[in-house]
Amino acid sequence: MNLFGVMETSGSAMRAERVRAEVVAANMANAENTRTESGGPYKRHHLVFAANQPNLNFGDSMHTVHLGSLDQDHVQPEGGVHIAGVFEDAGASLKRYDPGHPDAGPDGYVAYPDINPLTEMVDLMSASRAYGLNSSAVQAEKGMITSALDIARS
Amino acid sequence: MQVTTELGEHLARYLDLSVNEAKVTASNMANIDTPGYRTKGFDFGSEIAKAFDSFEDPRSHLVNMHEVDGLVSRPDGNNVSIDRESLHLAEAQLKFRTGIALLRLENQRVMDAIRADK
Repeated sequence: MNLFGVMETSGSAMRAERVRAEVVAANMANAENTRTESGGPYKRHHLVFAANQPNLNFGDSMHTVHLGSLDQDHVQPEGGVHIAGVFEDAGASLKRYDPGHPDAGPDGYVAYPDINPLTEMVDLMSASRAYGLNSSAVQAEKGMITSALDIARS
Repeated sequence: MQVTTELGEHLARYLDLSVNEAKVTASNMANIDTPGYRTKGFDFGSEIAKAFDSFEDPRSHLVNMHEVDGLVSRPDGNNVSIDRESLHLAEAQLKFRTGIALLRLENQRVMDAIRADK
């Protein structure tokens, strides 16, 4: 058991929340995007989080933790969180009547992504709050490590 | 000659357990948005009593983890509460600092005894 492992756990969450904020930003940036490589309008992206395999006894957690592994995306510290995947929304796109639009169908309707700025903002706010929560946890862990260093000093 | 004291050994176990508490709390915080995640925890009082009673290496001591009940679940099945976790993290931090302070005092005491002839 070591204190740096606690930091890795919080770090994994900060990384996951940052990716979530990026996905929200991408969704909002493409809210009016009617043209994609795969054809059709942009589809809203969903991010799914999954808990890392928990190690309930803590005894053999020492080997999973090593310094400098925070910047490697594939590392999954036990007890932390990872991104299970980014999925496209399966729902139908929004139809708006605009016959003059270059992407309008034969019926004069243009397919727009079904993106609601309100849900995106709520998601962004929640991601930012969770990021802040985990960063304050890192702050607390730093305080603990600093105080542990005081043992040697006298 | 023995320079480690009984209080020092006890404090080591106490510190170990408070780090475990911080770890569990950080893990709960990390999974605040994971669908279906259930808050985990352990009983500090009974675990510390168990750790004090055992003679084995404190690092091999297994903490009896369980899912915390009595929390409100959100529609996605997640029941992590920010308030509870923040409180527990602050608590673990204070416990750790208390342990460190006591350990420093204890080490100082041993050092004083070593330097008693000067």
